[in-house]
Amino acid sequence: MNALKIAATGMAAQQMRVEVISNNLANMNTTAYNARRAEFSDLHYQQIQRAGTISASDGSVLPAGVQLGMGVRPSAVAMDVSQGAVKQTGGPLDVAIEGAGYLEISLPSGGTAYTRDGALKLTGDGQVVTSDGYPIVPDITIPDDARDISINANGEVYAYFSGQVDAQLLGQLTLAGFTNEKGLEAIGGNLYIETAASGSARVGEAGIDGLGNFRQGYLEQSSVDAVREITELIEAQRGYELNAKVITAADQMLGATTQIR
Amino acid sequence: MDTSGYIALTRQTGLLKEMQTVANNIANISTSGFRREGVVFAEAVQALDAEGGGIAMTTARGRFTDALSGSMTQTGGVFDLAIDGPGFFMVETPLGERLTRAGTFTPNGEGDLVTMTGYRVLDSGGAPIFIPPDAGNIGVSEDGTMSANGKLLAQIGIFEVENPQMMLREDGVMFLSETEALPAENSRVKQGFVEGSNVNPVIEIARMIEVQRAYELGQNLLDAEDKRIRTSIKTLGQS
Repeated sequence: MNALKIAATGMAAQQMRVEVISNNLANMNTTAYNARRAEFSDLHYQQIQRAGTISASDGSVLPAGVQLGMGVRPSAVAMDVSQGAVKQTGGPLDVAIEGAGYLEISLPSGGTAYTRDGALKLTGDGQVVTSDGYPIVPDITIPDDARDISINANGEVYAYFSGQVDAQLLGQLTLAGFTNEKGLEAIGGNLYIETAASGSARVGEAGIDGLGNFRQGYLEQSSVDAVREITELIEAQRGYELNAKVITAADQMLGATTQIR
Repeated sequence: MDTSGYIALTRQTGLLKEMQTVANNIANISTSGFRREGVVFAEAVQALDAEGGGIAMTTARGRFTDALSGSMTQTGGVFDLAIDGPGFFMVETPLGERLTRAGTFTPNGEGDLVTMTGYRVLDSGGAPIFIPPDAGNIGVSEDGTMSANGKLLAQIGIFEVENPQMMLREDGVMFLSETEALPAENSRVKQGFVEGSNVNPVIEIARMIEVQRAYELGQNLLDAEDKRIRTSIKTLGQS
């Protein structure tokens, strides 16, 4: 009986939706987290009677035919790429990206990853790294006698030294832009890697070619909207229950079938 | 002698099919752009030799797609487009052009605007829509004009068909129209919204109960018929 299997696909879909929602809510306070949304599409259709079949000798055709759907499948868990709210932290190495773009990170394995989490730190040698200790690209090292650090909107990093009036340019943070940000693959730790779907990274200077600007002393917050997640959760839960009801009804119909003899 | 059993059977088979459409509608309660479907039953009459007699068998003859719009959900996504009105987006699939109302689009790695299943969205002239990688501030007006930083990018194609109830359904919330799709006149595009499924849970559950009870009724009839035959065999056997 197909109704059983169809309702099962519906239950699986709603369950996946709840999983996506719970992950969003768990990451409500994750810096620069992008909320995810489960997208669904219908499955293939069973052709019982094809539309346009000739139904009589005078050539009249069936206008609609009979098609029966076979359920639902998840088509994507898409990332909501809208920017989260920006929170002031005052940290000299906290940078929020206002607009599009990702910081480039070099992974210990030798690969490249991208992140919007701008909570940068220093190593003992003065190298600028992420919270996980991965160095950012291009490499920037802050001398240990620097009194203060300033990062401007274009990503230029200046250091102030005692006894010197002018700041010294240490390097420039760059941004990587993607044609399709939703196509990036999340690898955890707020990091993303490029895929064939995202297109290759366009590395450039901040503020140029559609890339965003840096804001020193701010961090981008999670873009999860609690109200939306909760309404989605209610919808998902009710959807799950509805599908479960169908399974019960289909089961009872099967029960009625087995009772005749 | 077995006719009543066979008639009941045609009804039962049809009800199972209807149950399947109800299950499919409910399974797709969260599928954006989904249109609920229903089955239409028809009589197949066979005349009998007896005077004035005839038996009517039932068969699932047709199907309809409910063209009512689903509710719109605000997502704020730049490429999330919903259509207010009877129109459809045109997408290019390996099997040809198809219509859809599921407006969650995104540029792919090459910069072409695609659906979540990876098919290219077409403009009003039937060409793919290219989004330049450096395009910012993308806006879509109500008539489907897409602009970036105030400069015209493309005109998203919105099409209408004469009889949307009769379109052929395909997986991926796609529709195939037998009649030619014409540019839409009474449809407006809403950016930042996604159209949900138009399945109404109350109606579906009501239909489901109805189908289930009708099925049980049919089974009771078959049961009674079975008993009748058994009794007659028994009685005739005793004599």
